[in-house]
Amino acid sequence: MGDKEEFDEGEIEYTSYAGEHHLPLIMSLVDQELSEPYSIFTYRYFVYLWPQLCFLAFHKGKCIGTVVCKMGEHRQTYRGYIAMLVVIKPYRGRGLATELVTRSIKVMMESGCEEVALEAEVSNKGALALYGRLGFIRAKRLHHYYLNGMDAFRLKLLFPRPHVPQMVYEEEPQPEHEIYPRPRD
Amino acid sequence: MQPVTEAESSSIDHDPTSSGDNSVWAHVSPLLSAACNDLQEGELIHGDNFNLFAAMSALEIMDPKMDSGMVSTFYSIDEAIESGFAPVPISSDRTVDVQCIIDIMDHLLACEATWHMGHSLAQTVFSCIYVLRPERTSSHALLHSFCRVIRATCRALVSVVSDARTNEEEDLFTMTYGLPFSGDEDAKGLLLLNAVEETICRQLRACKATSSKRRVLDELEPLQTNPQLEESFCKALLCRIRFRKHFLHALNCMRRPQGRGLELARKHIAYCIAELESVLSSVEFLGSETVENGKNEMEESTTGSGRHPIGFEPTLNKRLSAPTPPRAIKLLSWKKAIDYYVKLLHNLDQICAFKLEPDLDAVLQFVVQFQKSRPDLVARAHLQLLLVQDGKLYGRDTFLTICARSLALDVTKNHGLHLNEHILQLNQLMINLLKILCANTPWQRRKLGKILNDWSVFNVQMGITVGHMMQQVTTPRTPKNGDKSLLILNHIYGWLEEQIHWVALRFLVLGFDLELYSPSEYCMVYWYMYIILWKLAEKAHFRVLIIVHSEERKAKKKEDYSRDMAREDRISLWVLLLKCQTSLAQGLTVMIAALRNEGMVLKSQGPFNTENEKFVQHFGLLQKASLPKYDAYESFSESTCHARLDYLPVYECFRDAQKMAKEIKVGYANDPDKLAEVVGLEQVAEHNIIAVNLLCQDRSLKVSFEFIHHPHFATAVVRRS
Repeated sequence: MGDKEEFDEGEIEYTSYAGEHHLPLIMSLVDQELSEPYSIFTYRYFVYLWPQLCFLAFHKGKCIGTVVCKMGEHRQTYRGYIAMLVVIKPYRGRGLATELVTRSIKVMMESGCEEVALEAEVSNKGALALYGRLGFIRAKRLHHYYLNGMDAFRLKLLFPRPHVPQMVYEEEPQPEHEIYPRPRD
Repeated sequence: MQPVTEAESSSIDHDPTSSGDNSVWAHVSPLLSAACNDLQEGELIHGDNFNLFAAMSALEIMDPKMDSGMVSTFYSIDEAIESGFAPVPISSDRTVDVQCIIDIMDHLLACEATWHMGHSLAQTVFSCIYVLRPERTSSHALLHSFCRVIRATCRALVSVVSDARTNEEEDLFTMTYGLPFSGDEDAKGLLLLNAVEETICRQLRACKATSSKRRVLDELEPLQTNPQLEESFCKALLCRIRFRKHFLHALNCMRRPQGRGLELARKHIAYCIAELESVLSSVEFLGSETVENGKNEMEESTTGSGRHPIGFEPTLNKRLSAPTPPRAIKLLSWKKAIDYYVKLLHNLDQICAFKLEPDLDAVLQFVVQFQKSRPDLVARAHLQLLLVQDGKLYGRDTFLTICARSLALDVTKNHGLHLNEHILQLNQLMINLLKILCANTPWQRRKLGKILNDWSVFNVQMGITVGHMMQQVTTPRTPKNGDKSLLILNHIYGWLEEQIHWVALRFLVLGFDLELYSPSEYCMVYWYMYIILWKLAEKAHFRVLIIVHSEERKAKKKEDYSRDMAREDRISLWVLLLKCQTSLAQGLTVMIAALRNEGMVLKSQGPFNTENEKFVQHFGLLQKASLPKYDAYESFSESTCHARLDYLPVYECFRDAQKMAKEIKVGYANDPDKLAEVVGLEQVAEHNIIAVNLLCQDRSLKVSFEFIHHPHFATAVVRRS
């Protein structure tokens, strides 16, 4: 399982969730790779309500990665949430996870989400780097979040607000030598 | 039956999205039986309010990952006892009996530490049948008294943690429902254990005595049957018993009101640490028989001997461990458990050694210093209960007195002030703040961010009131009755702003401790720290002036008045430390901005958002509390966009910091913690000056930022690619 698979990026096919036949594929991937056990109701909860946010990656007919998400109101904001992201070991490090998650985030953005959130274990360097590159910040640390006693980070990506036209001010001339950074009152 | 709100096409409820007060109870059987014919495995009927929590709460029976099973070795405790799982005595061979008891003692220590670290009492300490049913062992004094003391200790700790309760971390610790906790009987445990200790002491003396003396002691039965092992067994038991005894005593002393038992508690803690060392060294004797198990196994073992203990069954309380689905837990090893206790005891000792000064600066600095060693829940709960008792600091002084003291003001003559609406509110804010500062740091940071807004709203309200009152007073002089209420309120209003900035700084700094900032965000973080530090230093400096002024006046009035120079010096030194940090933060901001502007470090830029969004996310709570009062992002980008490496202020900031650090070091010569910090700051400044020099000369160098000299101020590390 640990060995790297030789493949060409072009051979990977990405597809949106397309029905019950995809469910066993997603479940077996997540069951294999993530420590938390989920019941079938949890999977259905996500893929039935937000099929457009779920993507699968295939290589030569074999499902090798998936992302499962949701979105909805959360404390006065409309928030996307990445619930599960899995790429099997031999295919890691080639940007598949980034591609999967980027597809979900794009749909969230187009659907009017203001932000995207997720949790990642503090020791999961790979995931933290991946989400960091996409613009997520570590908003909070969650003490003893996992059953094994590990902490988690709550990662968040804030989308830019839609541009609101503002009054145009005349630009003030800048002093030549700005003393930076200077606090103001 | 659940209130039905919706089922596919039915419209029983007027508002199908709610399951609250508008829900109507309906008979669900016909619907269910109709649906049964169509439902496949893994399908369900649900209402619109079916959410992620509900979905996650479902258990798939027989799924090995999810359902750890109700199948247990024993159906009940009684069944386990009847089957001879936990015999009393454990063995008729007294040597074996003693050996087994030592294993039980060791395993209980591992269970307790595991409980402290966040697992349920039911699955840890109370997995022991001897602890669950102490009445069975009443004929066996050693086992009986030890288990009673264990129970009493658990009770004492549950009480401390539930009294200190601030957040969800405590929930699992204090969850005891269904467990037998009979306080009265357990309270006698210590007396019994003392008697047992006394007997074993005599047995130890007897086996060491020469043959002539031995005859006198002859009527005393030895601990066990093998004379060669007698001494070692006696010693192994004694250190374990004494540890338990002193630990419970220490906990009881620490709970005495107003910190009155702290001195005595320290003595017990010192005994505990010494006894733990003996416990640890007894492994040479206990483990000698089980060496064949291999070293690795010994490291993982929950007992000193490496054997499995008798009488423990973690599945016994499965039916009690709701509301979470029962899951197997991994116990800490015996060695790790001892490490845990050593750390806990040192943390408790730190608390007991604290000088309970009625000085807010001292309290805040102590709590911050205490949190640096990442103390666990039990230690933090103790600190919180010591600091806040009956709404007062150490149960002694109101926060009005404390705040006034930090301004060198006397409030004893101004009785009305204690009932002032703002002062009451301030008291509440201070209590909350201290409790939060004792909590685990991840939660602490979240909560500090939230209370900033409360503080800032309060600040505005108080400002309005005090402003009105000041206007109404025609003569600004103090009334003849000595009531300086207005003056005090005015000063406290000024002090509030200093306090708010202190909270903001703590919020920012904790972000480093919790690893919330990535290197691409350091520039904005240091900029923000610079802004907050600058203001904090200014406010603190203002307080120094107030103190000096009022002390001078007091000294003028009474010639024999001795000025509290120590306090004046302490605060002045603290102001200088803040200024030193301000310069460092400024230097780092400009340096990183310059590197970024010259393309030597990567900009913080993702495909979906910009630096602006990250700034808003990291500092939104500060902005909401008007810290600072202007558009911070605009100011940040304006003030950093022109930075260049060859720009002089970079050096100047670091040089200023270096100079101030040298000065501060002298003042903190007697405070090793503070001194270490200042030395760290000085080194950061020094190294960064060198780094800037090198980078100016060769722009192809690679640079990274590391926390090698100080946990919050980064040192630039320069490498040839």
